[in-house]
Amino acid sequence: MSGAPRPPAQAGSAPAAKPLALTCGEPAGIGPEIAARAWETLGARLPFVWIGDPAHLPRGTPVREVTHPSEAPRVAASALPVLRHAFPAPAAPGRPEAGNAAEVIAVIARAVRLAQEGAVAGLVTGPIHKKALQEGAGFSYPGHTEYLAALAGVDRVVMMLACEHLRVVPATIHVPLAEVPHLLTRDVLMQTIRLTHAGLRRDFGISVPRIAVAGLNPHAGEGGAMGREEIETITPVLEALRAEGLVLSGPLSADTMFHAAARAHYDAAVCMYHDQALIPIKTIDFAGGVNVTLGLPFVRTSPDHGTAFDIAGQGRADPTSLIAALHMAERMAHARRAA
Amino acid sequence: MTDDRPILALIPGDPTGIGPELTARILAEGKLADVARFVVVGDRRVLERGARFAGVTLEIAEVASPAAARFDGPVQLVDLGNTDPDALPLGEADAEAGRLTGETLARAIEFALAGDVEAITFAPLNKRALYDGGWRFPDEHKMFAHLLGHAGQFSEMNVLDGLWMTRVTSHVALREALDQITEARIVDALHLADRTMKGAGIDAPRIAVAALNPHGGEGGLFGREEIDIIAPAVERARAEGIDCRGPFPSDTVYLKAFRGEVDSVLAMYHDQGQIATKVRGFMKGVTITAGLDTVFTTPAHGTAYDIVGQGTADTGATEAAIRLSARLAARRRAEALEPQGM
Repeated sequence: MSGAPRPPAQAGSAPAAKPLALTCGEPAGIGPEIAARAWETLGARLPFVWIGDPAHLPRGTPVREVTHPSEAPRVAASALPVLRHAFPAPAAPGRPEAGNAAEVIAVIARAVRLAQEGAVAGLVTGPIHKKALQEGAGFSYPGHTEYLAALAGVDRVVMMLACEHLRVVPATIHVPLAEVPHLLTRDVLMQTIRLTHAGLRRDFGISVPRIAVAGLNPHAGEGGAMGREEIETITPVLEALRAEGLVLSGPLSADTMFHAAARAHYDAAVCMYHDQALIPIKTIDFAGGVNVTLGLPFVRTSPDHGTAFDIAGQGRADPTSLIAALHMAERMAHARRAA
Repeated sequence: MTDDRPILALIPGDPTGIGPELTARILAEGKLADVARFVVVGDRRVLERGARFAGVTLEIAEVASPAAARFDGPVQLVDLGNTDPDALPLGEADAEAGRLTGETLARAIEFALAGDVEAITFAPLNKRALYDGGWRFPDEHKMFAHLLGHAGQFSEMNVLDGLWMTRVTSHVALREALDQITEARIVDALHLADRTMKGAGIDAPRIAVAALNPHGGEGGLFGREEIDIIAPAVERARAEGIDCRGPFPSDTVYLKAFRGEVDSVLAMYHDQGQIATKVRGFMKGVTITAGLDTVFTTPAHGTAYDIVGQGTADTGATEAAIRLSARLAARRRAEALEPQGM
């Protein structure tokens, strides 16, 4: 898989890159502790500023409060740079406080403002708990991604899941499988492929992205013998987009497009439904997957897991996916700067 | 001393693919002679060309039927004389090759029905060629069931490294698969998987059941099949003595099996099972048709048209298919011999 050019190991005489912003997410979840663990691992090598209430961080975390993200690269060698955002209540592991919900949301909005002002290179978001935000603050968005799109004034974004070996974009996401055949219109598919194509160019530095598109049915319908969506929906969209110059393969049989040799032929796979995208990436890289939002005016990634209330506060949470999300955001920001 | 190795029909598979060279190499190397007695059912010219491709020599003795076979010397072949491989395009899916592959399998099934062979292992065939050649079945498993006059339940299972993967629905459009997922079918599939694994010597098979919807439906938010259909089916099967659990979100259920927490995963639909298993290398594994009176096994990989004739094709999966066939057949025979009431 061809990736983005890596930033140079030495910054040299170039101006110091801006730090990333990392939001605290739900403080009753594992967000604060994995942020502290990520800083321990990355230090000044990949500076980020954590936005949240320092009282929610694990006891003993070396913290340095900053007043502006630009101070983060300087302090990150010795402490976790924190942009303080006061919360009304402490964090009880596994039990979200209704009183904290509004601040969880406010932290996200604050991070978006910093990204829009150009004060940070991109946004990495800690996991939130949708139900806690609904009940505590009347949060009405289906999820993080939709809220970010609304803040940015963007109509449509797509979710990409990426690991070192595979990038996947589901065309439909959190809906019952039985609704997928109805929701999978030419329009939805066309927008998904276009946003994927634009995102690979802008955020991953791939000038001519190669996109593989899965079929919906077994063996991609086998010429209509096992379903007609490939013939009636997918193929016409691919033909129209190929006529515009996009490099697309498909509709491909989903079961044979994800092994290593097949993956060498594309930069991202557009899938028809959630599990068609999630099964291969979890099978290939269970812990290292990163959630990327394409189509926003700023870079945004997040770890590919939730608040993990069951293990919060025990020091057992694995920061691998968050660290991968920070690396991915840095590379994406670099690709944008280079463009 | 009696020879208790099971008698196994070996079919070279589609003559335009790598099947004949795999078959010839395995017979020439003779290293599976300890697990089974082989009778090749097919065309002599196909087997001989396979031997040429593989760079091996075979001593062949023709027999009229497996019942007449003598297992102490040359390769025993029932020469059907039906397939001239040089008249078929090498390395392509071809309808005539598919027709002849089906015809050859049908003859082997006749021998099985007559009790002359105890199991059938076939080298790779091509489903498309079979279909275009007039065997109008979505896969070979349905064809076998039809030829055997099998009325009950049966299913494809994929086996690798002690893991047995199966599914409720198979080669049908996703819309149809959704209609076919019922509590009764799930319970039946669990029984079939349990029975088949026990038949292979796994005494207490543990089965994980996949959910249908994203995140397992997230409590009904993204679909109700988990609540209305799958969970009740799992409960019923458990009450009937099957060690099954679920439904589990399908993006991580296979990881449970790969970590060794279960022996088997039951998927709801084709791609749900096939994506994870193929990423994990199940092409190196074995496909069996579970639930039929005759044992059928085949390598999970296909005809590999791109490397036909080079003699480089790996025999590992076919060897595994033969070993599994022999194991299943031997246990069936042992069970049939057990005194009643045991």
